[in-house]
Amino acid sequence: MAILETQNLTYKYSVGTPFEKVAIEDISISVEKGDFIGIIGHTGSGKSTLVQHLNGLLKPTSGTILLDGNDIHSDKNFTRQARFKVGLCFQYPEYQLFENTVYEDIAFGPKNMKLSKEEIKERVLRAAEFVGVRNDMLQKSPFDLSGGEKRRVAIAGVMAMQPEILILDEPSAGLDPKGRKVISEMIEQYRKNTGSTVIVVSHSMEDVAESADKVLVMNKGKVEYFASVDEVFSNAEHLVEIGLNVPEITKVFLALKKQGYDVRTDIYSVNEAKAELLRLFKERGVLA
Amino acid sequence: MDNTNIVEFHNVTFCYDADEGEQQPEPAIRDFTFNVKKGEFVAVLGHNGSGKSTVAKLSNSILIPNEGKVLVKGMDTADEDLSYEIRKTVGVVFQNPDNQIVASIVEEDVAFGPENLGLPREEIRKRVDDSLKAVGMYEYRHHEPHKLSGGQKQRVAIAGIIAMRPECIFLDEPTAMLDPKGRKEVMDTVIKLNKEYGMSVVFITHFMEEAVLADRVAVIDNSRLLLEGTPKEVFKQEDLLRSVGLDIPQITNLAREMKKSGVKVDDSVLTLNEFVENITALLGDK
Repeated sequence: MAILETQNLTYKYSVGTPFEKVAIEDISISVEKGDFIGIIGHTGSGKSTLVQHLNGLLKPTSGTILLDGNDIHSDKNFTRQARFKVGLCFQYPEYQLFENTVYEDIAFGPKNMKLSKEEIKERVLRAAEFVGVRNDMLQKSPFDLSGGEKRRVAIAGVMAMQPEILILDEPSAGLDPKGRKVISEMIEQYRKNTGSTVIVVSHSMEDVAESADKVLVMNKGKVEYFASVDEVFSNAEHLVEIGLNVPEITKVFLALKKQGYDVRTDIYSVNEAKAELLRLFKERGVLA
Repeated sequence: MDNTNIVEFHNVTFCYDADEGEQQPEPAIRDFTFNVKKGEFVAVLGHNGSGKSTVAKLSNSILIPNEGKVLVKGMDTADEDLSYEIRKTVGVVFQNPDNQIVASIVEEDVAFGPENLGLPREEIRKRVDDSLKAVGMYEYRHHEPHKLSGGQKQRVAIAGIIAMRPECIFLDEPTAMLDPKGRKEVMDTVIKLNKEYGMSVVFITHFMEEAVLADRVAVIDNSRLLLEGTPKEVFKQEDLLRSVGLDIPQITNLAREMKKSGVKVDDSVLTLNEFVENITALLGDK
């Protein structure tokens, strides 16, 4: 059974006013336990609106969201439970830190879950260690940290709730290449350790191709594709038309193919690219 | 491009003030010497917290050096009487477009700067129209900025700066918050300002693929200038760049890996087209 499912989900902003606008329309997707899903789409395509439905934060105008087979808006108690089961980390989460200390900030979620003091402490320490927030930083004000550190504290706050489904909206936006790598590896490790389902909204096609199993492409509030990485990126030209892009590495092979070379085009990483090019060179005897 | 310097940093050190009761922080920029020539397109790379943004703020007297000097066409930014002239010469565009838009109609926002210069009405009209055309946002002149996409907003912010007709523009990670399409729009606009209008551009970024397009790349690490040169020269220093949290373009990385495996590919390529041409030349007939 799917752990999370949406059925004909539609959300309109400002219903009944002249500004009424459809943000997402007729979204039906199904997420299996342990999936790693990348969501891509240009700005305004409805990505963020969609993920805010998945933990019950927004209530659909029509359609339903099923968590473990139950409608998350069926009763208030279950909606509340859904917030803990589905952990959502917003875009630029460092702007949402507000407590006096880093410790308090990470503990905010677990406290709301009404866990025991010991349990909260254990979770905070574990989450902090996991994201690389040192012990001596825990009593500092979150506002004294660097941008990258704040981002990690914010993510730790969501991880400390130990959600079954972890959703991150552009977790590496605005970070330098090293910072992006650290965040990617952290998410991958979290998934390995906990077996959680992970959904990441991203602009980086490279990151999505590298880490996700499935890709959901949003366009104008609708699902354009929801399939494996290979299937989605094989539509490179159409992706470009709807304002997206394919990884630079993939473009090399699309260009070679266009020129008549017999190459694979489902290539997303430097290592795969190297192997495929070497195969081509060897086949033609250009390389001994 | 001629050899006149528009902006000169001479051994500049700058330190932000300490918060109450806190120790004095380390300098954000240290003994920094750097020039921007007329008509030049320079990319500045550096990881988060390396001091890049401080450089942008020092360029037009938003910040004043503690030590050393910043000269804009020979004018010292420490001289308050000159700050008006300095800001007309050097404009700065920041990362978050939402923080830079002040008016509720696109053309009014772009007019804000020229109005403050006290220009005649006709001149303001002309500059607003020219600027919006230059960034490809003229059709949106009557729109509300908050309803535009990130890339569009950032282009409006750029139009607001170029309406002041600066000779040099510093852009502090203008694409960091944008999607790939928005990034391309902004990048194309910046290149046009440089190539067609001859404006000097200093482009601060995290994206190696954007830095490749510059005439010159400067790398800042730990508050200091670490490396400077053409994109090809700078991206040769793979190990050094990695050691300071940066990277080389993915294409360059692939070319290097191929070369290691014995393929005689040019491993200094920086762009997709260069690489594909190189590979097909080596492969011969289809």
